[in-house]
Amino acid sequence: MPLLGDFCLLFALALAAYCFVVGIIGFIRKDEIGFRLTETARRAGMASFFAVTIAALVLVWAGLNNDFSIAYIQQHSNRALPTPYKIAVLWSGQEGSLLFWSWLLATYAFVLRIRHKVDTRLFANASTVLAGVQVFFLLITFFVANPFGMMSTVAADGNGLNPLLQYPEMVIHPPMLYLGYVGFSVPFAFALAALMMRYPGEKWIHITRRWTMVTWLFLTCGISLGAHWAYAVLGWGGYWGWDPVENASLLPWLSGTAFLHSVMMQEKRGMMKVWNMWLIFITFMLSILGTLLTRSGVVQSVHAFAQSSIGSWFYVFLMIILMVCVAAFVKNRRHLESENKLESLVSRESSFLFNNLVLLAACFAVLCGTLFPILSEWVRGFKITVGAPFFNKVMLPIGLSLIFLTAVGPLLAWRKTSLGSLKKNFAIPAGLSVLVGAGLIPLGVKPWNGIAYFYAWLTFVFSTLVIATILSEFIRGGRVLQGKLNTNIFGGMYHLTRRNMRRYGGYIVHFGVILACIGIAGQAFNQEKEQEMAQGDKLQIGSYTLVGQEYTEDDNANYGSNAAVLDVYKNGKYITRLTPEHRQFKASNQGTTIVADYSTLKEDLYVIYEGLNPDTQHPIIKAFINPLVNWLWIGVLTVVLGTGLALVPNAAQLKSPVTVTAAAGALESGGGASMRPAGARK
Amino acid sequence: MKFAATIVALFLSVGSLMAADNSSRFESVGSKIMCSCGCGQMLLKCNHVGCPNSATMIRQLHEQVAATDDDQAVLNFFRKEWGVTTVVEPDRHGFELIAWILPFAGLGLGVFLLVIVVHKWHVYEAELKPAETKLDPRLESLRARARKETEI
Repeated sequence: MPLLGDFCLLFALALAAYCFVVGIIGFIRKDEIGFRLTETARRAGMASFFAVTIAALVLVWAGLNNDFSIAYIQQHSNRALPTPYKIAVLWSGQEGSLLFWSWLLATYAFVLRIRHKVDTRLFANASTVLAGVQVFFLLITFFVANPFGMMSTVAADGNGLNPLLQYPEMVIHPPMLYLGYVGFSVPFAFALAALMMRYPGEKWIHITRRWTMVTWLFLTCGISLGAHWAYAVLGWGGYWGWDPVENASLLPWLSGTAFLHSVMMQEKRGMMKVWNMWLIFITFMLSILGTLLTRSGVVQSVHAFAQSSIGSWFYVFLMIILMVCVAAFVKNRRHLESENKLESLVSRESSFLFNNLVLLAACFAVLCGTLFPILSEWVRGFKITVGAPFFNKVMLPIGLSLIFLTAVGPLLAWRKTSLGSLKKNFAIPAGLSVLVGAGLIPLGVKPWNGIAYFYAWLTFVFSTLVIATILSEFIRGGRVLQGKLNTNIFGGMYHLTRRNMRRYGGYIVHFGVILACIGIAGQAFNQEKEQEMAQGDKLQIGSYTLVGQEYTEDDNANYGSNAAVLDVYKNGKYITRLTPEHRQFKASNQGTTIVADYSTLKEDLYVIYEGLNPDTQHPIIKAFINPLVNWLWIGVLTVVLGTGLALVPNAAQLKSPVTVTAAAGALESGGGASMRPAGARK
Repeated sequence: MKFAATIVALFLSVGSLMAADNSSRFESVGSKIMCSCGCGQMLLKCNHVGCPNSATMIRQLHEQVAATDDDQAVLNFFRKEWGVTTVVEPDRHGFELIAWILPFAGLGLGVFLLVIVVHKWHVYEAELKPAETKLDPRLESLRARARKETEI
């Protein structure tokens, strides 16, 4: 079986290389032969998907069947590992995750190649770009980090999966994250192809919009699941530690968010073409940079699963991408001239400009902090550690200005907004936020109590502003349609959303982001307490009292565990029983914490079992009160809902024959839309 | 450089002006120090029993916070005693100041470039204005109507 996997990898590499080389020939030759070659390239590209799929299945099969003759399986699995985690072994180590990455890329490319009839020439060229990326990943998967390496002697059992990864979310967090990372290859491929072939109009943007949104959604889900996993498993009471690998996932998310906003200016006004092109190039390069940071070990991270010499390959690949992008841009830059100019600083366009500026400033700040240890090593010979305090200080002002822009942006009209209209639209939201700001002070959120309180207070005030703005947009539009359609305000708001799913879905995304920000602001009021607790001992934190009931031990084939059973009282009234646990995994001899969490909308009571005091043999319990954490998760779900809605076609679009319109548009746009030469066979 | 350092220091130390007692100073300074045992956790979050360093470091932190009002002096003590990598917040002097300046310099550069672009566009618009006035008034009214209707 390992030989089959190896062969399939090599075959996939050959097919992808064929697709790439022949695709380039097809791009250069614009005759009948070129067209036929491009078609063979497309089919080879599709076949590469099946080859990589078989290779990935072979590795999964080997994991499920405890084939410890494969070094990767021996290092990352063991007999007692539950079945879902045996499947997750595919992405839990360097070699397997690269294979998984190649498979996801091949899947995206397969879908793109299947949909080639939307615009044959554009899709063919995008397929060639993707084939280039596929070749790189298959090269390193086959030659540098081959998951099918064999053991000289077959061990009776494996080393087991990292205990921190043995958690349900870990089965879906990496695939989501990778779907996001890899997915940005698709808009990148379309952008580069459109630039190189001087594709007329903005149709390529319309084609890639869904790809970009879906990719962004996956990345959002991946990042959030990672945060939730950190909260539930790592046991330090938080969900975001500004670890370099976390930062690496945030970088393309920030630039991708900027792209999703600024691309609207190109669609609506034909502006910012150069900016958008470079944003998508940068987003893809940041995805690759993130992979480089994660896998090369150039920066220290808790995600230390993948430290190797693979980094130099990524440096070379990154340089090649940069050179190709610069060359394509220099050669075709005249094609990207803007059709319109900014007419007023008080306009939707300018709000997008500032929004992009702030998002990119955030991206740059994260990049600076993440790469500063490397810079300091070059300059001073040792790595300076840059951690959470730095990022919190730098990112909070930037984040707050972004929330403010989220409030103001939707109130501005395209081209120009009069001061009167701005005042009219802004008065109620601004008044409400001032009221909330004043109302928070008697509740204890006093901005003068410290910088954390100040930022939290400002977040609540700006969040009110955004929520009020979004609501006013829904109500204003709903009222207009209420009259026209003879329905009630909710019916009006429903029809309003159905008529412009993208815009109102976008508002729901903004609403979700704000809910998440409120959850994050709750950190300012965190409390924590640590105490050794014998049976019957009490731990008081906030209004909660924890009483130690009993301490249990358990043992199974995979791990042994110690747990504390604690009764929780709030203001003297019994509310629940919590069982924080510590597990010691046998195969890897590593321990992990299983957090016990009593979660409400107001706050989380988060309890961890730190271990036994070796002197007294009493368990040490650490308890946290983390206010508003649930709002973060609710916010993420709202973002997912909003993005899903924004992906649904508008009601009007559903009634019209979309494919005919698209085809007509393609014909109108001239030679760039079709590559079939006169007389070519169907 | 010194001026920039002062501005950044002022901007970032708004919080310290509002800082309260020693216990909150202990928390805030402690959140900038990493446990040096290799567990990769922050000193005050280090949650493994039997850590060889965290108890000593926490004791030293208590002593230093009580001994001086200068948070930077406390951090410098830990840099000297346990190595520069123990403090996870770059220093606000010398080479490490770059880490603080770069993000805001990037933002400033962005704003500067944006102003230039906007100014360029305004000049362009001013050049176009005479031509725009010759537009058919019916077209203008249609444009105004479209603008009004697409507001929703």
